[in-house]
Order: sequence, then structure tokens, then C-alpha cells
Amino acid sequence: MPRPPATPKSWPNRIMVEPGKLASPFGSADVLPEQTVAEPDYAARPSRRLEIAIAASALALSVTALLVSRAIPLRMGGGGIDPRWWPTLLSVLASALSALLVAMSLFGQTPARGEMEAAEPDGWTRMLLALALSALYVFAWSHLGYVGPTLVFNLVLLRIFGLRSWKALGVYSVVTTAFIYGLFHYLLRVPL
Amino acid sequence: MNALLDGMLAVFEPSVMLCLGVGVLVGMLVGMFPGVTATMAVALASGFTMTLEPVQGLAVLLTIYVAANFGDRIPSILINTPGTPASIATTFDGYPMAKNGQAGLALIVSALVSAIGIMASMVLFAGASVPLAQLALRFGPSEMFAVVILAMTIMISISSKSITKGLLAGVIGLFIATVGRDPITGDARFTFGVRELNGGLDFIAVIIGLFGIAELFDQLLTHREHKIKPISALGRWWPTKSEYKRIAKPTLVSGMVGLVVGIIPGAGGDIAGLLGWDRAKAASQTKASFGKGNIEGVAAADTASSATLGGSLTTTMALGIPGDSVMAVMIGSMIVWGIQPGPSLFVNQPELVVTITAIMVLATIITLAINLIRMPMMVKLLDLPKHYIWATVLVFCVVGTYATTNNLFTVTVMLCFGVVGVILKRSGIPAGPIVLGLILGPLAESNLRRSLLIDGPAGLINKPISAVLIALAVIAVVIAISAPLMARRRAKASDPVAHSTS
Repeated sequence: MPRPPATPKSWPNRIMVEPGKLASPFGSADVLPEQTVAEPDYAARPSRRLEIAIAASALALSVTALLVSRAIPLRMGGGGIDPRWWPTLLSVLASALSALLVAMSLFGQTPARGEMEAAEPDGWTRMLLALALSALYVFAWSHLGYVGPTLVFNLVLLRIFGLRSWKALGVYSVVTTAFIYGLFHYLLRVPL
Repeated sequence: MNALLDGMLAVFEPSVMLCLGVGVLVGMLVGMFPGVTATMAVALASGFTMTLEPVQGLAVLLTIYVAANFGDRIPSILINTPGTPASIATTFDGYPMAKNGQAGLALIVSALVSAIGIMASMVLFAGASVPLAQLALRFGPSEMFAVVILAMTIMISISSKSITKGLLAGVIGLFIATVGRDPITGDARFTFGVRELNGGLDFIAVIIGLFGIAELFDQLLTHREHKIKPISALGRWWPTKSEYKRIAKPTLVSGMVGLVVGIIPGAGGDIAGLLGWDRAKAASQTKASFGKGNIEGVAAADTASSATLGGSLTTTMALGIPGDSVMAVMIGSMIVWGIQPGPSLFVNQPELVVTITAIMVLATIITLAINLIRMPMMVKLLDLPKHYIWATVLVFCVVGTYATTNNLFTVTVMLCFGVVGVILKRSGIPAGPIVLGLILGPLAESNLRRSLLIDGPAGLINKPISAVLIALAVIAVVIAISAPLMARRRAKASDPVAHSTS
């Protein structure tokens, strides 16, 4: 298949920066193709060390799965095609594929990471905070009910994600919490 | 005749029409926002539709599927960013057209050919699904196991950059499906004394985690502040008579490509769009202007990717094998509603098949009508800050998952799979084959064990259909392994200097 025209590299941020538009707060549709410049390359770099870590972790997990599969307690006697058979077969397959990945990561070419983008330094903080907050939210919901924790969750979440206007934070949190409550409690009859 | 009438009438219930409206709205919005894919939206909506009647729920999910297919073209044309992977090829000519002051024309042509593509694919669904289901009804355990293996290997070989990682993903999915009670003896497997795991991992929680949370976390990891204003000068909207004539041929050529690609399990609109654009270019008299704002390029890309919808639906409904990742998610919801996609669906609930066809057709007509109305609002929506989308997606993922079981344990499972999903994504291990393995795991295990108990290992090879299907599966893997090697060898042969110095 012939190569398609040059497309932006890493979706969803595969875009071309248009100087004309950036300069104007309203943007402009009159930028000529030759005036566009390519955005800096944000693609994730290939890494042999990472590939080895992925392959080794997969192998360790597959072997663990194999051991756990062999230890499945059986109500009736084992042997033959018993409940252990299929998980054992799958973990043996997974171990073989992981061993192949280990060999490829050690001796083969380091593969390109496709359209994957490199993580931003503050991206990890943002992601881990969102995860911790979600776990806390689930815990708070089970003890305090839906309304209070959801209001606080929405507020803190948006603050972490970069919204600075307190008015917008308040309005979004109240509206979203009320909308979800109304949708589930009254329309879908799911008690929250 | 009764099934036909009952199936049609079911769609015109006021509640179902309301669900259709909601689906169109949600689908258009998710399609328009880059990073929110149709799979993610359908996974999310699954949580909300569990309490609805099956037809109402199907109306929401199928309409999201259709409307997202229209909505994702808008950012492709206006900001050169595909709304979903299915509209990657739209950017090739759509954005250059917009920059030439023809954004309105590109949007209208895109909407028209998308509708044509979907309608043509629904004709395929109506014509091919019954014979395919009748053939599948004759399948015994060994044939069913072979079908599952073939579907998985095709999906893995198409969707994965590394065949080894793709196969590993498929095996992980099959393994996750073993959590819970053994399908034949009822022994507990990997439940570790947790009562909630006796019935297996909640399917909806796993897919919301793998597709919704993992995608969101990945965006949180990689987001950079940059602003691009959508093109706001939309220009002329309707094509001229000569432009209608010009788009007829690429629409036909790429439509055929889309129909064929759609039938292949795992191959979706993204592959079809690229292939369709390429074939239309080869057949065009103005191929030099492809990629520079050629209206034929927009027509080709969008017809091909839209024409996959009916094919995916055919494989899903007739064989019970998901045609693409959206269908994989939808099968999970259908099982919860007590609908088992597969050949028996055509015998047990023929009216439902008619209803599904009617929903798809109606959703296409409504979405087309909305797309033909000039809406400057659409351009404004593309400016919505990311933090609102992230917060909304996360809250809806949590609450939507809770709604499926009314149990916060399910939400914990979803969050765990979100973390697993983002680790897998960053490791280059695709989520698609995992979900496919999770859906098809019980089917594969029970049929293989039955086949081995009845006929022994020889049964898989002695029966002609299963032997052919397994041979095809092996060929799919061999092609997937050898194709990149051959491409590398060809590149080396054509440019030996560059390769000798690298």
C-alpha cells in the first residue's frame, strides 16, 4: 500500500501547530499549508530496558499463574481434563510467550513504541492523584453515602486537573452530582 | 411476518425513541471529543443501561455506535485530529479541504457518504446474517472452539503491532475468564474465598476499567498544554452536481472495501478507512491531488470506515464473535440482558434481529439529519477544556460501574483493571484481545473440553470444518509474523545504502 500523506504523528495530539492561529486569540482559517510547522515530536522513545522489564514481569506472573493453577482445590479427584487443566494450559502458553518476549528483548531489535506518547513529568502525579482520590471516594461513599463524597470528589478532581475558578468548580460539582443523582435515583431507579 | 412486524413496532415505542435521541446526542458528543472513543462510550453507557429493557438499552448503545461514527469526522476536518481512530483517514483530505475554505462542503460530503456506507452495510447484515447463522447452527463443540480460535488469532494479528504481545494479551483474557466457578464441575477457581468472585469477574467493570479508566489515565499521563483553534470559516456547504458525480466512484470502490473489512472479526473502521482511501486513490483520475484536499478522498475514507458497521454486526449476531471492539463491549451488555448473540438468536428471538436492524437504520437517518443542519455550536464544543471531560468521564465510570451491581466491590475491580489497563497500554500489550479472550473464554473452554471428552484430540483435526478453521488461524498467525519481516527485507533491498549504514 502506498504511503498516505504525512499525518500528525501521535493521536489524539497529532496536530499541526499553526503559528498564525496561535498568534490570534480567535484563530484564522487563512493559514497556507506551507506556513505550517511540525509540532515537536512527543512520541515515546524505544527502550530495551523497559522491554526487558515488561517481558520479565510477564514471565514472573505467568509462572505464578501456573503454580496457582496447579493448586486449585478440587472437590472430586483430579487428573485428566479437570478444572485445573484449562488454566494450566493457558499459563503454560503465557509462560512460553513471555519467555519468547524475554529472548526478543535481550537479543532482538528494540521495537518502536508505535503511536504511544511519552509521559509528561507532571503526568504521573496527575494520574496517581486521580487514582488515590478515586479509591478514597469509593471508601467514603461506602461510609457516608453518595451526595457529600461526590461533591467533594468532583471539586478536588477538577482542581487537580487544572481548573482554578472557584465559581466554575462549585457550579460543576453541584450540577454533576445533582444530575447523576437524578438520572440514577429517579430515572433509572438505581439507589445511590 | 409476525417477527418482522413485532421487531419494527418495538422501535417506535416512545421510550425507545427517547433512548434513540439520547444515544444520538451522546454518540455525536463522544465522537467529536478526541480521545473519547466509541468503545469507551459504549462501555460507559453499559453501566447506565443495565436497568433498562433490552430494546431500550440496545437503542442507546447501537445509536452511540452509529452517531459516534458521524461525530468523529468533525474534529478530523476542523482541527486535523481524529475524534476516534476510525476517522484517521478523514484527516488526509478533510483538513486540507477545510484549510482551502471548504470545511462546510467536507462536513456535508462526509455525513452523506457515512450514511450511505452504513445503509449499504445494513443491507449486507440483512442478507448475510441468516445464512451465516444457519451454517453456524450445524457447528459442534470442536467447530465452535475452532471458530473462537480463528476469531482471536485474526483480531490479534490485525490489532497488535507485536504478534507475541497480542497473543499474550489473548491468553491473559482467556485466563481472566477462568476466575469463578468451573463451567462443567462447578469447582471454585481463583476466588480466594471472596464471595463476589464466585460468579466470575464482572464483565462490565473489566471493560470500563480497560477501555475507560486506562484511556483516561493515559491521557492524564501524556497531556500537554497546547491550543489549536478550530477552523471557523466553513464556506459553502452543499456539493454541486459535478461534485456529486465525482464522489460516486470513490464511494462505490471504498464502500466495497469497507463491507469486506467489516466482516473480518477485529478489523474496524480505522483499517477500512485507510484501505478505502488508498483503493479510491488508485482508481481516481485525480490521484495527484489526494491528500491535498480532494473531495474524493473524504468520500472514500468515510464510506469505507462507515461500511464496516453492518459487517461487524453480522459477525457478532450470527456467530457470537465480536466484529470489533465496540461489539465486544456490546456482547457483554447483551449477555447481562439475557440475550446470547450467536446462531440461536435467529431461532429464539428473530424479532430482536429485526429490531436491531431498524434501530441502526433509524439512528443513521436521525444522525444524518442532525449533521446536515449547519451547527456552529459543533465548532464551539471543540474548544471545551479537557479537565471537564476528564472529571466527567471518571465520575461516570465510577457511578456507572456501581449501577451494574449496586456493590462497591465492582467499582474496586474496575479501578484495579484501570491500573492494569494503563500498565498494559504503556507496555504495548493491546486491550482488545484481552476483552475478546474474556468474552470467548467460557465458550472456548467448555467446547474444547467437551470436544476432547467426546472425540479426543483427533476430533479437532478430523472434522473438516474445524480443521479448515484451525488451519486458517495458523495461516493468520504465520502471515502476521512474516509480513513485517518481508516488508523489512523489501525495504532493505530497495535502499541497501541506508540499511547498511543504520
